[in-house]
Amino acid sequence: MILTPAAKPDRKLRFGAFMNVPSCHPTGWRHPDAVAETDLSFPLLAELARLSEYGKLDAMFFQDSAAVPGSAGLYGGKPFNPRSGRQAHIEPLSAIAGLAAITSYIGLISTCTTSYNEPYNVARRFLTIDHISGGRVGWNLVTSQAEDEAMNFGRDAHLDHALRYERAAEFHDVVVGLWDSWEDDAFLRDKASGVWFDHRKMHMIHHRGKHFSVRGPLNVARSPQGRPVIAQAGSSDVGMELAARTADMVFTAQTTIADGKAFCAEMRDRAARYGRAPEHLRIFPGLMPIVGRTASEAREKYEELRELVDDEVGLRGVARLCGGLDIYQYPPDGPLPPLPPSNAARARQQMIVEMGRRGMTIREIGRVLGMSQAHRVAYGTPAQLADDMQEWLEADACDGFNLLFAHYPKPVEEFVTLVVPELQRRGIFRTEYEGTTLRANLGVPVPANSFAPAPAHA
Amino acid sequence: MPKRQLSLGGFFSTPGNHLAGWRHPNAVPTADMDFRMYAHITRVVEAAKFDTIFFQDTAAVNGSRALARGDLTRTRLSRIVKLEPTTLLCALAAVTSHIGLIATATTTYNEPYNIARRFASIDHISGGRAGWNLVTSQIEDEAQNFGYEEHVDHARRYERAAEFYDVVVGLWDSWEQDALLRDKASGIYMDRDKVHFLNHVGKHFRVRGPLNVARSPQGRPIVAQAGSSEAGRELAAKTADVIFTAQTQLPDAQAFYADVKGRAARYGRSPDDIRIMPGITPVLGRTEAEARERYEELQALLPDDLAVQSMSHISGGLDLTKFPLDGPLPELPPSNAAKARQALVVRTAREQNMTLRQIARHTAAAMGHRVLVGTAEYMADELETWLRADAADGFNVICNYYPGPLEDFCRLVVPELQRRGVFRREYTGRTLREHLGLPVPENRYTAQRR
Repeated sequence: MILTPAAKPDRKLRFGAFMNVPSCHPTGWRHPDAVAETDLSFPLLAELARLSEYGKLDAMFFQDSAAVPGSAGLYGGKPFNPRSGRQAHIEPLSAIAGLAAITSYIGLISTCTTSYNEPYNVARRFLTIDHISGGRVGWNLVTSQAEDEAMNFGRDAHLDHALRYERAAEFHDVVVGLWDSWEDDAFLRDKASGVWFDHRKMHMIHHRGKHFSVRGPLNVARSPQGRPVIAQAGSSDVGMELAARTADMVFTAQTTIADGKAFCAEMRDRAARYGRAPEHLRIFPGLMPIVGRTASEAREKYEELRELVDDEVGLRGVARLCGGLDIYQYPPDGPLPPLPPSNAARARQQMIVEMGRRGMTIREIGRVLGMSQAHRVAYGTPAQLADDMQEWLEADACDGFNLLFAHYPKPVEEFVTLVVPELQRRGIFRTEYEGTTLRANLGVPVPANSFAPAPAHA
Repeated sequence: MPKRQLSLGGFFSTPGNHLAGWRHPNAVPTADMDFRMYAHITRVVEAAKFDTIFFQDTAAVNGSRALARGDLTRTRLSRIVKLEPTTLLCALAAVTSHIGLIATATTTYNEPYNIARRFASIDHISGGRAGWNLVTSQIEDEAQNFGYEEHVDHARRYERAAEFYDVVVGLWDSWEQDALLRDKASGIYMDRDKVHFLNHVGKHFRVRGPLNVARSPQGRPIVAQAGSSEAGRELAAKTADVIFTAQTQLPDAQAFYADVKGRAARYGRSPDDIRIMPGITPVLGRTEAEARERYEELQALLPDDLAVQSMSHISGGLDLTKFPLDGPLPELPPSNAAKARQALVVRTAREQNMTLRQIARHTAAAMGHRVLVGTAEYMADELETWLRADAADGFNVICNYYPGPLEDFCRLVVPELQRRGVFRREYTGRTLREHLGLPVPENRYTAQRR
């Protein structure tokens, strides 16, 4: 047993299991152990849910985009990206609704864009899943950043970055307002008197804003966890500001402890300015763990996955972050040229600019994207991986990790059977779920209904 | 020749279709929000070998505008909140294996790409059991949840609906059957020659595609429709696999049946390509007298003012509460909402010389659908008669409350139908298309390739 006196009893790791089926490694689906049919098979997703719940992970997280990635063939590339596994998949909100029916503890988080939806519809769907799951849902609020999507919704280009975020902030406020349409005890269902609900406990938001006019009330009763959990992944300045005000969870992509620490400190500072307690914002950098029973086995697995990296797929990843500049006009083994500002993923663009500054060529940058989508990769024995994660936790560089699996389901199985027990032995990961709601397991508070009168204090 | 077979749908109008059904001593009034109850009643109809379940939908609290004005009538009516049906279907798909799963989604306040994705996803989750009931929004309460003061007028709504349908069905063909190669050796995941852009440019939508869900197990999900107006019938004849309708009289039902199937023929479709399913509400008893008693027991739970209020969506804006209860139903201004439903109610009142109180209570009892009060034999007789008389291909069973009347129907009426050889004893297929006896449509691009 390893003694870890530095681990404070209340500092525990939390995990999101990133379900970017069929593989987080864009070409990891080619691995001999990979089951690529996870993209469209619900029974296989159900198996991943059971594994994640067996491992007592906090949540499964499904990313989304309302388009076939790369279908538009922009930025100098041809349409489609036929070598990447991410092509067609079950719509994630539908997937988590199905998973809610067959799981009991695991949180279920899905991305849903504020750019091409109506807030009333989004509020309804997440709250419905929250009821089906008994309070385990989370909404990863994003703005759409891919032209691929815009063209499926009557637009030639996606909205400008600032406008997108302005819309997103208003969208959030409408959704959260709608979620408070009913107080917890609004429904009397009193057969004797014939009164169905108490109208004093029904609230119409009567929202009139720049982007939306929504009267309410929502036609779904209040959430079993007060309100679905809000997750966000924007790391640009405006993205961080929105997260500081509204998010319970933040998904991010720092690769060094120093950067992680700086990001956490900054996020918590910003949150404090909105009057929020720092521990009410849970921060999850991405991490692709590669587990071996021995250090050399882990190293071999890592090399094997590096072998599978596809330069063409990697270059496509670079191309979409180049702010409209056609990167295919530059020699791949040369340096990254200065880039015009991206209207897509600003923080991600900053990341590749940093890599270029450190002397990486275009191809090398592409290979980082082509392996782990530029998230941190760690390989080692269960003890080595636990050391690594513990160091991040103790340095206040994270509250946990969003786990990227190179493929499915083997790496998930290895993580929950080999790494989780090691973390539990060290006392830095739960041995039982704290509760049956996502809020309870994340340790974030249940918000009061914003329309309800404040409880009287004795 | 084998007997024609009925299709049966469970139209889940939770916590009860009868306006006072939830007050019945055996009613479970939490059936509106409780997933376990939905799972239970779905399993009940699956055990009875029903073709499908069906959820209607409205993207608003019914009566929101009245509530905003301070009218509290609605506080005594159920069906205020519920689980969003397309989301609910995903969860029900996960706990069932055969039953079809149909839900309403409006074409008025959605984007076709999102709807195409969602139903294709449900089809994948369920292994080919999804159906989309395509509607246009007709409830004024919805408009103000989507940035409009009033809902779009009837003609424009249908124009949008027809284009919406074309986009959705086009997107469902984005991927040919064998487009996903997942070939580890060559590293090619998808065959780019078998994935197609829709490039739709129309009056209401511009959608490039392709859909990011591969071809669904049924080829494409089932499309249901419920519009009975002229525009609604025309769209249904052209596009629907299943038609839900409210018919209370045999001759009317026969006329509707012949009309829609005749229209379908003009679009080059076979009459068998459409299954017409009127709604019925069973009130069962061991004897007719017992059934009558049960009906009266329910009606006694319903105050007159709620009955009158229930007609507000078809009153064309006229405030019926201002008219004497024992006088005739006044002339109604044309309704921009549910045209066919209004005509049916007006005709029933005139033909049977009903007072406002009588027609209101009659309407409230079934919300326009046919109420069958009697024994299991009587019900089987009625269903079989309508089937043989070309008035219906099947029925949507709507219950006054849940779960009792549905369990009774499955326990008593279904075996009687099976004994008569007009309803299956076992499922013979796994997909909704197979249950309904409908062909799998060929992918348009695959067809071109031939």
